[in-house]
Amino acid sequence: MIDIIKQENGYLLTKLDVTEANLNNSEKFKAELIGLLDGHNDKIVIDMHRVSYMDSSFLGALVAGLKHAISLNSDVLLVSLRKDISDLFSLIRLDKVFKIYNDFDDIVIPR
Amino acid sequence: MAAALSNKVLLVDDNIFFLNILVQEFSRTGLECTMAESAKEAIEILKTEIPDIILSDLEMPEMNGIEFRKYLIEHKNLRDIPFVFLTYLADRELITEGLDLQAIDYIVKDTPIEVISSKLNNILSAVNTQRERSSLEIRNAAKSLNIKSIPTKIPYVKGFEIDFWHQPYHDIPGGDFIDLIPVNDRYTFVALGDIMGKKWMAWYFTFGFLSYVRSAVRFATLNGDFSTASIVQKVNSIICLDDVLQDILSSLSLLLIDSETQTITYSGAGDLPLLHYEADAKKLNIVKSEGLLLGLFAEADYDEKRIVLKDDDQLFIFTDGMIDFAGENGKQSDYNLFADKLLSYLKDSTADFRLMKKNLLSVDTDKQVDDCSIININKRYI
Repeated sequence: MIDIIKQENGYLLTKLDVTEANLNNSEKFKAELIGLLDGHNDKIVIDMHRVSYMDSSFLGALVAGLKHAISLNSDVLLVSLRKDISDLFSLIRLDKVFKIYNDFDDIVIPR
Repeated sequence: MAAALSNKVLLVDDNIFFLNILVQEFSRTGLECTMAESAKEAIEILKTEIPDIILSDLEMPEMNGIEFRKYLIEHKNLRDIPFVFLTYLADRELITEGLDLQAIDYIVKDTPIEVISSKLNNILSAVNTQRERSSLEIRNAAKSLNIKSIPTKIPYVKGFEIDFWHQPYHDIPGGDFIDLIPVNDRYTFVALGDIMGKKWMAWYFTFGFLSYVRSAVRFATLNGDFSTASIVQKVNSIICLDDVLQDILSSLSLLLIDSETQTITYSGAGDLPLLHYEADAKKLNIVKSEGLLLGLFAEADYDEKRIVLKDDDQLFIFTDGMIDFAGENGKQSDYNLFADKLLSYLKDSTADFRLMKKNLLSVDTDKQVDDCSIININKRYI
C-alpha cells in the first residue's frame, strides 16, 4: 500500500497506492506506516497524488502515524495532495499538524 | 433505513471467457461484479475495494485458489469476506483442502449458469440475514443498557430554537455524538463530536468522549467557568491522559448559548467550520475555529469565538458526513458544495428546520457515505 520510491539522506520517499482511503484500508495503512517508522531512522514522505477521497478512519490512521513518528523524534510529511484532500486538511486544521508540500522537490533534503 | 444489501462480487478466474459469462448472468440478477484474471490481480483490487463475497477458481497459474485463500486468511481485513471456490468435480482433494480453509462453499463449474447464480444469491442472502441478526443483537443490547449518543429531548432556550438531524450510515450507529446540556435558565451548552473511525468501534468510544464533555461542562460551570475554550482544553487534556483512548481522535464543536445576552460562544477542535446564515442579507458566513482534534496534543490551545445572531439568523454545526457524497467519480468531500446547497435552499424557503430535514437533508441519503449530523440554532424574536 505504501510503496517505497527511494531513501535519501534521512528521508524515505514513498507513495500511497490507494484512490479511496477509507475504513477498509486504514488499519493496514497505519500498520505499514508504523512499520516503516520503526524500521528506518528516516522521516517518511508520502506522495498522496492518487488519493481522491479520505474518510475520518483514514485521517485517524494518518494522525496516529504522525504521533508515533513524533514519539520517535521523526516525522511524516505529505506531498501532492489533490485539491479536495488539501481543502479537507485546511478545514479541520490538519494542515497545521502535518508538513505539506507540493512535491518531493519542495522538501529541502540535505544533499 | 434498512441496511444496504450485499451485492458486490469479486470473481477470480484465469479463464476470461468463463468470467464474462458469469458477469453477464450475475449482473442480470442485480449483482455488482468485479473481475480478476489472477489471484495477484484480485489482491491488487482488494487493496482499494472490499467485496461482499469472493468467488475464486481453484486451478490458476502462479497463485492457485488455495494459496489465494491462505493469503486472505493471513490478512485481518480480508479473512472474513465470504469465500466460495469454483471448481471441477475432479478436484475432490482440493475441495476438501479448500473447505478446511474456511471457504463457506464450493460451486462446481459444470453446473448450469442459472443454478450457479441462484446458489450465489442464496449465499449472499444468508450472509445478509446473519449480518442483520448480529447488528440487531448489538443494537438491542445497547438499547437495553439505555445508552445513547444522541439526545432524546431538546431543551427550551429563551430566544432560540434548537433542532438537529442525525442519520447513521446504513442504520448502524457510528462515531457522531450530540449533547444538549442546560446548565440553568440562562446557559445551555451544545456539543457535536465525531470520533474518527466508523461503525461500532467509533460508536463504542462516543460514550467515553460524551462523559468527558459532560463532566468538564459540569465541573467548569460549578466553578463559575463558562468559557468554551477552557472546557474544550480540559476535555482534550483528559483525553490525552486516558490510555484507553490512545490513538482515538475526535472532533468537537462546543457552543454556549447565553439566553440573557442572546449571544453564543463557540470553540472547535478539528471540527468543520460552522455556517452562520444571515437572514437579512441572505448570505452564509463561515465561522472558523483554530483548535486541533481532541486527543492529538495534550498542550494544544483552543480559541473562542463570539457569535451574535440577529432575529431569524441561523447557525449550522455539522460533521463531515454532511459534506461527503458518492459522486460520478467515486466518493468525494466538498464543503463548499454543501454550503451552496444549503444557501440556495435557505434563500428560497421558510426558515423552518423541520421542513429542511424533510425537503433537503433526507433527500439524498442514498448518496450518503458516512454518519450525518447537523445541529441548527435559530434566533427567534423574544
